[in-house]
Amino acid sequence: MAKELTMFNRGVKLVVLHVVLALVATSLVLPFTWMILASLKRLDEIGLDSWLPQAFQWSNYREVFTMKGIMFGRWYWNSIFVAFWVTFLQVFTSSLAAFSFARLKWKGRDTVFLMYLATMMLPGLVMMIPNYQNMIYLGLVDTYAGLILPAAFSAFGTFLMRQFMMNIPHSLDEAAEIDGASKWQLYWTVILPLSRPALVTLTIFTFIGNYNSMFWPLVMMKTPERYTLPIGMMAFDSSQGQQTNLLMAAVAMSVIPMIILFIFMQKQLVKGIMLGGVKG
Amino acid sequence: MLTWKKNDVKQATVGILFLLPNILGFLVFTAIPLVISLFMAFTDWNLEMHNMFQNATVKSVGFGNFVKLFTDPDFFTYLGNTLFLMIGIPFGVAGSLAAAMLLNHDFKAGSKKLYGIIILTIVMTVCCMMLVLVGMAATAMTLLVCGIAGAVIVGGSVGGQTVYRTLFYFPSFTSGVATYILWKKLYSPENGPINNILQPMLDWFTPIAARLSPKGATGIAGVLLVLMGLGYAVAMFRRCRRWYFGECGTTSVIIGAVLLMIPLLCAQLWSGLGWGGAFGFFFAAAGVIALAALFFFGRDYKCVTDYGMADAIIIDGIIMIGLFILLGMTNVVLSMPAQATSADGFVAPKWLADYYWAKPSLMIMGFWGAIGSNNMLLYLAGLSGVSQELYEAADIDGATPIQRFWNVTWPQLSNVTFFILVMSIMGGLQGGFEMARVMTNGGPAGSTTTLAYYIYTEGFGTGRLGYASAVAWTLFAMVLCVTIFNWKFGNKYTND
Repeated sequence: MAKELTMFNRGVKLVVLHVVLALVATSLVLPFTWMILASLKRLDEIGLDSWLPQAFQWSNYREVFTMKGIMFGRWYWNSIFVAFWVTFLQVFTSSLAAFSFARLKWKGRDTVFLMYLATMMLPGLVMMIPNYQNMIYLGLVDTYAGLILPAAFSAFGTFLMRQFMMNIPHSLDEAAEIDGASKWQLYWTVILPLSRPALVTLTIFTFIGNYNSMFWPLVMMKTPERYTLPIGMMAFDSSQGQQTNLLMAAVAMSVIPMIILFIFMQKQLVKGIMLGGVKG
Repeated sequence: MLTWKKNDVKQATVGILFLLPNILGFLVFTAIPLVISLFMAFTDWNLEMHNMFQNATVKSVGFGNFVKLFTDPDFFTYLGNTLFLMIGIPFGVAGSLAAAMLLNHDFKAGSKKLYGIIILTIVMTVCCMMLVLVGMAATAMTLLVCGIAGAVIVGGSVGGQTVYRTLFYFPSFTSGVATYILWKKLYSPENGPINNILQPMLDWFTPIAARLSPKGATGIAGVLLVLMGLGYAVAMFRRCRRWYFGECGTTSVIIGAVLLMIPLLCAQLWSGLGWGGAFGFFFAAAGVIALAALFFFGRDYKCVTDYGMADAIIIDGIIMIGLFILLGMTNVVLSMPAQATSADGFVAPKWLADYYWAKPSLMIMGFWGAIGSNNMLLYLAGLSGVSQELYEAADIDGATPIQRFWNVTWPQLSNVTFFILVMSIMGGLQGGFEMARVMTNGGPAGSTTTLAYYIYTEGFGTGRLGYASAVAWTLFAMVLCVTIFNWKFGNKYTND
């Protein structure tokens, strides 16, 4: 009797827990629900009390791509193009630097690393203004290179990779050395393949961060063809923002890749946040 | 000085070669701009005077920019805005902690059989409820919301923690221009869904509030103010007690007490009640006298002066915000009768378009994003590290759930909380740019312009590069203060 009672209690507790969690989760997701439903409405239905469209206007999604002055497809492509290059370069340079900090012994290494860490604390805002003058001087304003290059080097990425590489057993280095491997071979064939989890994490972080980044593209890009998605969405909002249904369709389309990426990659992401946060 | 052997040089060369791409980027895009920026802050560099048409020489103005900055009322308004928006931080952190604690349960607790029964119960209940709702001819909206909630709970009971965690994490994961535009539409006063839902509720509430006489409102406001005084007294007593028993150092007790007194001293300006100022002043003075008396009589259990600093700042800071909320409520209550009896009754706020509501609107949105953010994941990791033995020991001592939380969970998570708060404060000082740019353009009337947005408008809008750099360096100095504070107290508190 007593045992059944505790089991019953535990069951009730679990059900209550589920109800609370589901209520919180639902209220957090409601804005997204409204977004999807609004994107399927006709324009004149937007202000109505009912969230549901009278008929689902899937054509809204097609229309976003053909709107005048809104080069949605182009912006999408730009965003992915820029984010891809930034991610590739940043992961590559960070892993090189991290290898040097974590696996090579050289005089002054720790001093240099401390300097690196110190730059992580500098607010980006301090550098933005002179960096823009820098870009004018280099003639890179309104070019993709001007967007990609400054973002291709990151102290945070180096730090994250170093934390991971420190934990790879050092006996591997010695074994490689006995086999006569050069430092580059050690990096390329031993350490890099073993750092895959950290590489994946950093890749996702950098990609998402860059896909969402707004400040630098906003200052740099002048021609609408070269806008990235966030800047394009702002242009959309300020020029034709009263077309709420189309705007919401665009917002939904810009968010969906992130959601898919997150659902598939969440294990690595969660691990990465712990790696960067708890130890930092 | 270290002596460099031939081998050292060789090793260092290899090391630097691997660093080279990073170092080049670092020099070009961080180090050099940094030096230029520092130089800029002391000049009158202005794009209106120094451009390709008008090439006047850039002159040094010494500390002129900084003097201008500290005499500029705008700067202090924007600094105030930045700090005001940061009031949302503790709420976000508390939300993340609550979410993490809810998620930290073992969903498959007990037997597989029990788990199966629970899933079945939930699925059946949800199905029945939907059927009942359809039968009652509920509106499509009700059906929709219940349907989503039902789908979430079924998904959650099958998938467990992962499903809820993913849903909680959505808002912060997708944050950026897209969600800001979405919220701009949600807040829209004309056809936004928030006001569509809120206005009928307010219409319902108007006649009830209209029955409240101005006298009654004054009474309620008075009660709120007295509550504030009581809250202050309790917090002050706790702080003094901790000092007396050697759980809190002298510096910490002073900082905590000052934090608690700020809202009381503001009562003069904000309470809207004639006697509010005197009331607040009296309580604050009583606190000072109590502290002085304590220091005079001394204590038996000594400790270092900055011991328990983080507790003083976190707990008393949170209480300070609570006191401020009570103070604000007095104003709201006082203005209620007049508004309820006016021709329109209560009108839903215009949110982003309203001078007073713009900042709270941004804070509500921030809270929505903060609950399931990285902080929640950090707390989850922290919770999984809390030793189960401590809970068992607490259970044997017969601790209530609240005692369990304050005496086991909270102290065990203190280092995570400290880390999160420091990071949030640093982010908060530099934040607000994207929201301001996308949603409000810093308006209405500058009420959502934060320092970051100010730097942007000065630097890239009006082109006063020298002045903008000076603002940026001032901001940097503030962030540096937080960092130094973190170094000084972070490790100590972690080891408490």
